[in-house]
Amino acid sequence: MRDPDVAPNAVADERARRFETGLSRAGLGLVPKLGRRAGDALLARLLRLLADRHPRAFAALREMADARVLIEPVDAPVALLMRVGPQLSLHAVPRGAGGVGDAGAADAVVRGPYARLLDLLEGRIDGDALFFRRELAISGDTALILALRNTLDGEEEMDLVADAASIAGPLARVLPVLRRNAGPVLDRIEAARRLLPPPLRRGIERVEARIAGTLPDTLPDKRA
Amino acid sequence: MDNFELICPAGTPAALRAAVDAGADAVYLGFRDETNARNFPGLNFTRQDVADSVDYAHARRVEVYVAINTYPQAGNLGPWQKAVDDAARLKVDAVIMADPGLLAYAAKRHPDLRLHLSVQASAANVEAIRLYRDAFGVRRVVLPRVLTVPEIAKLNAEIDIETEVFVFGGLCPMAEGRCSLSSYATGLSPNKQGVCSPASHVRYEQRGGALASTLGGFTINVFGEGEQAGYPTLCKGRFVAGDGPAYLFEEPTSLNAMDLLPELKAAGVRALKIEGRQRGKAYIAAVVRAYREALETFAAGRPVPHIDLQAMVEGGTQTTGAYTRAWR
Repeated sequence: MRDPDVAPNAVADERARRFETGLSRAGLGLVPKLGRRAGDALLARLLRLLADRHPRAFAALREMADARVLIEPVDAPVALLMRVGPQLSLHAVPRGAGGVGDAGAADAVVRGPYARLLDLLEGRIDGDALFFRRELAISGDTALILALRNTLDGEEEMDLVADAASIAGPLARVLPVLRRNAGPVLDRIEAARRLLPPPLRRGIERVEARIAGTLPDTLPDKRA
Repeated sequence: MDNFELICPAGTPAALRAAVDAGADAVYLGFRDETNARNFPGLNFTRQDVADSVDYAHARRVEVYVAINTYPQAGNLGPWQKAVDDAARLKVDAVIMADPGLLAYAAKRHPDLRLHLSVQASAANVEAIRLYRDAFGVRRVVLPRVLTVPEIAKLNAEIDIETEVFVFGGLCPMAEGRCSLSSYATGLSPNKQGVCSPASHVRYEQRGGALASTLGGFTINVFGEGEQAGYPTLCKGRFVAGDGPAYLFEEPTSLNAMDLLPELKAAGVRALKIEGRQRGKAYIAAVVRAYREALETFAAGRPVPHIDLQAMVEGGTQTTGAYTRAWR
């Protein structure tokens, strides 16, 4: 029989995960707004921090042949271009800016919903299963993608959200509290949201989508 | 009643720990080279990884097997013999091998090393299995995935070494160790280089809403919009023959024999194997946990539960494969 305590916790955990996924996606959306130099510096700092925390995986990434992988969330305004090999680096690029074979672009592309890509990078989900279900699309150098996936999946307890938060100053201290309380708090917000009149509810959803970077800053004029 | 042994895959040290923590009795793995049949980029274990993994597993009473199950190339025995020597030195619990020459080397050089016969040897009859037992002291045979449960029962009645069968994961429908389909398309062999459909020769392209997979330049499948995808293996390719495109050998599907635990026990099977050294640790944790739960329930004399593993399977479909194949 199902333990009655398990299901609500699992629901709360899933809700908290959705919250932090949305938060990190919004954070990613802000990177280009810092300007190229500051954005690159921030991502370089993140990469150094990840390399310190996961030396085995990052040593393996540096040992790979020089190549570029575009990690493209279909529901975020920004993609990440990762250069593996001795010149390991990470850059934010506009989503849809380039594909395999385009000038200056990637040798391989991994494309999917942001939450799934984050789960994959953190080893929470199996990449083959996502591929079978067509939630993940890959193109270009398959061996490169496989090597990257296997290297990152071989790492234990990768927590990219916490790692990203730790370079964002006060967020590092707030995140554990948010994680503990996000589930119940979001449950209450969701309950309150259901009581709102539909037009107001849709308006809030649009604002949320804009914050998450899934809507343009200016909504298209329906009369056009 | 002795429970089955649950033999689980690992492609990385993290996956090994996931398998151990989820309830494996033994974990099988390969070195980071062509001596094993899952020689994929970024996968497998350095010698130090194996040493650390053996420590981790043994501290939890879990065994470690090393697959050295490709066939040595003519004039280049070194990497395979070194793999056997290192496996013995690292105190693994068994090596899984297919090549008779390598089995002879291991039996002679390391008489205390437990030898298992890999599925890559395709030993599917009594005479073949007895030969491996008598000649090399093989203690367990991993049966090819082409036998029905009654055939396995008949085999077990006539041999006196343990049998291990696959119960979950990718399904190779060919005579393993002798299949050259991928070699024809890529020039690289699953049996010699350990690469079936090597990633270096695989490309995916979007064709409108469809997904096309190619191997060595040959289109081997086009998955329609919304259709679940499968591995880019020729045996599961969809080819135009006669009236239109069809799966000529096997459809993209995964083996799941959880419902057959009573029959496999009655057939005298000793160990159950989960396929998937190439899969992520999330797959390994989920599948091993599910099978551990099923085995515990079965051992307690209760009906085997239905545990949903649909999210993990190739092509979105599951099968009991040859075990219950009606046409056989």
